[in-house]
Amino acid sequence: MKKRGVGIGLSFYGTGYGNGFPDVSNAEVQLMEDGKVAIFVGATEVGQGAKTALIQIGAETLQLDYKNIIFINEDTDMMPDSGTAAATRQTYNTGNAIKIACENFNEEIKKAAQKALGLNSTAGLIVKDGVVYLAMFPDKRISYKELSKIYKDDIIKAKGTFTAQTVKMDDETGQGAPYWPYTFNACMVLVEVDTNTGRVELLKSIFAQDVGRAVNPRLVEGQMDGGFAMGLGYTLFEDLNLDKGKMRNNRFSKYLIPTSMDMIDIENIIIEDPESTAPYGAKGIGEPTTIPVGPAILNAIYDATGVRVTHLPVTPENLMKAIRESEKSEAI
Amino acid sequence: MFIQLVINGINYKVDIDPNMRLIDLLRDKLGLVGTKEGCGEGECGACTVIMDGESVNSCMVMAFQADGSNITTIEGLEENGELHPIQKAYMEEGSVQCGFCIPGMIMSTKALLDKHPNPNREEIREGISGNLCRCTGYNKAINAAERAIEILKEGAKNEA
Repeated sequence: MKKRGVGIGLSFYGTGYGNGFPDVSNAEVQLMEDGKVAIFVGATEVGQGAKTALIQIGAETLQLDYKNIIFINEDTDMMPDSGTAAATRQTYNTGNAIKIACENFNEEIKKAAQKALGLNSTAGLIVKDGVVYLAMFPDKRISYKELSKIYKDDIIKAKGTFTAQTVKMDDETGQGAPYWPYTFNACMVLVEVDTNTGRVELLKSIFAQDVGRAVNPRLVEGQMDGGFAMGLGYTLFEDLNLDKGKMRNNRFSKYLIPTSMDMIDIENIIIEDPESTAPYGAKGIGEPTTIPVGPAILNAIYDATGVRVTHLPVTPENLMKAIRESEKSEAI
Repeated sequence: MFIQLVINGINYKVDIDPNMRLIDLLRDKLGLVGTKEGCGEGECGACTVIMDGESVNSCMVMAFQADGSNITTIEGLEENGELHPIQKAYMEEGSVQCGFCIPGMIMSTKALLDKHPNPNREEIREGISGNLCRCTGYNKAINAAERAIEILKEGAKNEA
């Protein structure tokens, strides 16, 4: 018999290293010979979109088209340390470092423009689209290209460092504030369970993710879809089958991950509630997107069958066992 | 032993070991490294190429079996320096994350659209179901296939 059920999973997740561990990102910004601006930062792109989102944060702060930004992030000989691409931390932590470095750069280039234009002060100077100009007298202006020629022996550059605020938990009580910031999400699924075979089929999902601010909504959706697929695989299919420390399911023929036919279209809802300590309010969402999916599916299975499954993955075999056991205990 | 085959429209006569796989011929001998080796046992689809109109896992085909065949790899999709509509659509839709599975997934999409120019979403899901992806959850790849169908239709209209 086929039974349908609805389940919801909620999660909150502290991003960054946390628990008092030093969590530092560095960035450097420099004017190049052609008037373009280079950002040097140690944020590794692994497909999550760090390169895109961090260039966007830099472009916004520099008030410069992204095409005029040279982003160098994968040559450790050339760039400062910005920590790992892990712990859902690059958008928030390194994004902050880039924003600080770019703000410092804007001040440096204003000082250089003040000198070159023979002004009394940097007050009222505006940086926009690769030009520094005086708001009260816009004819007083100089381009980044001209500045790069004037200052070719004394390159205009700036640094930025961001250290996240985390507090070590009390060893005795476990109390404290180990992480900042947190990100929140909610996932709903509708499933259909075949009680004769134990097969669980997903029919629908609505997934809401708090991101502070979506620097790039398409990247956010990509992370949400990907996180959902991982949560789905973890819940229904994936089993290393460890036997005395040996992985028995060490091939894709046995360790099953979701295919395109196991996935469904998800109604993704991006919640923007800017975080005050974040660059333009943006928080990371990489890891948290996987978390509410399992609880949502298990709750939906319970709603459909009345059976609480407490062991993953919920393969058809495991679910049939759980259904039979609950029938037995009801019979007694 | 020598075999003769056409790859991306070019005739090749190559000396191969009898135990060489097609993927090794493509990557190591001919330098066509766009085709990726994931699992090496026909489960993940990263090495998908089109052989005589059918999508195949090039890790599961022996090079000698490709004698006399016509093969298209990811490098063969662009025309006159322009990306293929499927490639363009993948970029437009933001379908790529780490990217390792993408050449194979694009080749499966190409093989599907060559046979069925107008598949629905479920048929697209089936068409790329042999290509495992850990990053994307597939949905944006399916959006890209739909977008590619649109671009291909627009192109056909313009030609007519």
